[in-house]
Amino acid sequence: MNSIIFIVLRKMRVPLILLILCYAIAVFGLTLMPGVDELGRPWHMSLSQAFYVISYTATTIGFGEIPYPFSTPQRLWMLVSIYLTVIAWIYAIGKIITLIQEPTLKRAITEQRFSRQVKHLKEPFFMICGYGETGRNLLEALDRMDLRAVVIDIDEARLNDLLISNFHYDIPTLCGDAGLPAVLETAGIYNRYCRGVFALADDDHANLAVAVALRLLNPKLPLLCRAEEEGMAENMAGIGATSVINPYRSFGELLGTAIRSIHHYNLGDWLTGVPGQMHQTIVSPPSGRWIVCGYGRFGKAVVGSLQQEGIETAIIEADPALTGCTDCLVGTGSEAGTLIKAGIADAVGIVAGTNNDHMNLGIAMMARKLSPNIFIVTRKNHHFNGPLFEHVQADLTMQTSRIISHECLGHLVWPLLTTFLALMKRKPNDWVEQIYRESVDLIGLRSPETWEITINEDQTPAIAEALAQGREVTLDVLLRDPGDTERPLRCVPLLHFRADRKRTDIRPDLLLAEGDCLLFCGRDSAQKRQIQVMRNINALDFLLTGQVQPNGLLWRWFTQRHSNTR
Amino acid sequence: MNTEKVVFGFFIVLAMTLNFGFFIGEYNNLLHHPVYELFAAIVVNLIATVLKFGDRTQIGAIHLSTSLVADLQLITSAIVWSAVTDMGEIPASDIASIGSVVSLSGGAFLANVTSVVILIVETVMMRR
Repeated sequence: MNSIIFIVLRKMRVPLILLILCYAIAVFGLTLMPGVDELGRPWHMSLSQAFYVISYTATTIGFGEIPYPFSTPQRLWMLVSIYLTVIAWIYAIGKIITLIQEPTLKRAITEQRFSRQVKHLKEPFFMICGYGETGRNLLEALDRMDLRAVVIDIDEARLNDLLISNFHYDIPTLCGDAGLPAVLETAGIYNRYCRGVFALADDDHANLAVAVALRLLNPKLPLLCRAEEEGMAENMAGIGATSVINPYRSFGELLGTAIRSIHHYNLGDWLTGVPGQMHQTIVSPPSGRWIVCGYGRFGKAVVGSLQQEGIETAIIEADPALTGCTDCLVGTGSEAGTLIKAGIADAVGIVAGTNNDHMNLGIAMMARKLSPNIFIVTRKNHHFNGPLFEHVQADLTMQTSRIISHECLGHLVWPLLTTFLALMKRKPNDWVEQIYRESVDLIGLRSPETWEITINEDQTPAIAEALAQGREVTLDVLLRDPGDTERPLRCVPLLHFRADRKRTDIRPDLLLAEGDCLLFCGRDSAQKRQIQVMRNINALDFLLTGQVQPNGLLWRWFTQRHSNTR
Repeated sequence: MNTEKVVFGFFIVLAMTLNFGFFIGEYNNLLHHPVYELFAAIVVNLIATVLKFGDRTQIGAIHLSTSLVADLQLITSAIVWSAVTDMGEIPASDIASIGSVVSLSGGAFLANVTSVVILIVETVMMRR
């Protein structure tokens, strides 16, 4: 607030002094002009009267000639005064209007508003530095999950794009360099509601700057960085970023997982998707000879993880010198000759992984033509090309922004889910397949919401009360609809914590105990039903006994008597 | 020599001298207190106030506050004068009212002296 007042005051100095001077001249002059009173006696206006007259004249109110009709000299002076003061006012008002439009002031006002909005956020929020496609994807996910966020970006145009987007919450945005301490501070790194920072700019150096500044200013705050160069990723991890995401390596790993065990891939993808987004079950990528087009950062990561799975690869690259590719065919991959030379006839899969979307589409189309059954993996660089990629019907499409936002959600937003995913990696294929099939059958193909429940007085008063009475409550009550006990709720328990023991094989007859922690995935509606059971003892009773218990004291007494007499 | 400093110093000292000129004299004799001098003192004081706008330093803030005090006192004094003289129509006869006009301007004078003292201290401290 202070800075705005100072800027305004400083800029208004000249017009204000001009106004004071004009008023002073006009008032002083008016008292000097000879006039006559109603009896024709000579009369001079007093200073206070003159100030009164000038005040209503200068503001163009114009009450007329008070207290006596003016003499000619007085009228002449009034003429001078009118033009003098009115011009001074116009100048002052014009100055105020230019001041409002001045960039410095506008900036001060928006910063002011931003910092006030952040201060008034009285619930947990995340900070997103860099609002590109990735930031947007993540923000949409957070918004859908009723989580708040603040956004910093150096490019005003991108923030304007955010302002016109349709988000459920009002999202505070700040245009500035997130590597600057002052900017981070305004955005709330010292705010106790800040849950974590995402450095998602598409420039590794910018992300590194955010990481350094944040680690020095507030070492405790969770920080997640995006890095595309290996060296940078190491730097960030060294500085102390909670996790570093390299989208290319992540995808390489995903592809490796998919080849090793498709169910692990499918379950992971389904769980970490933005809730409500359609999940695509993919069939297992075949094991055999693969062709990789484009040996950039993406291509290298894919080749690396394919080789780790013991798969032979042929590489096609347009510029081997630039990418440091020693053993590859020269070409883009969209021409039939190169593909045939690379042995598309006996290849089982092809990766279209250049940094040009149209090139990738061309490769996919040509490969489909030459070998109709080949498994196609495409790299989608830009969100807006999505519809084109849908038409090409690739078996697997990699989109950087989607991968990063998946990882962001997994790491900072749902820590328990990350635990589950880590446990899942070590589980056998058929176990994962069973969980995946059962869950998808019950919940549907759209990615589920995930939530945690802790059995205690606060979160589950009804269950806590039943447990305190010594009754046995099984997990089953949280899986059935309190309105229709036969119908299962559309949710699945994934993880059960009891005194540091994590269990993934959860049966419905599990006896609940105070302090148990459960991770669920499922539909929003199921979560609402669960809340009903957890909070309302009558709903819980109905699920436990199958009978409607009388609510009121009188009815309870009455039913008791009734059953006694019978 | 800095023109800005000259103008600044000029208005601050002029505000004080005009104020003093109005204040000095027998407290119950309006002849010793020409009302035009009060008018000039108000105008110069207002200009001095505006000149002090927008200085973010501690000294700047005190400068501004002394000026605001002087403005408040002088304007109150002018309002009292207008009220007791019926907008200047009839000469003031009420001694108590004249006294209050003069004493209010005396208070403003003190604020203006503070302002000048700060100005001098600031200049001496700069040593340039």
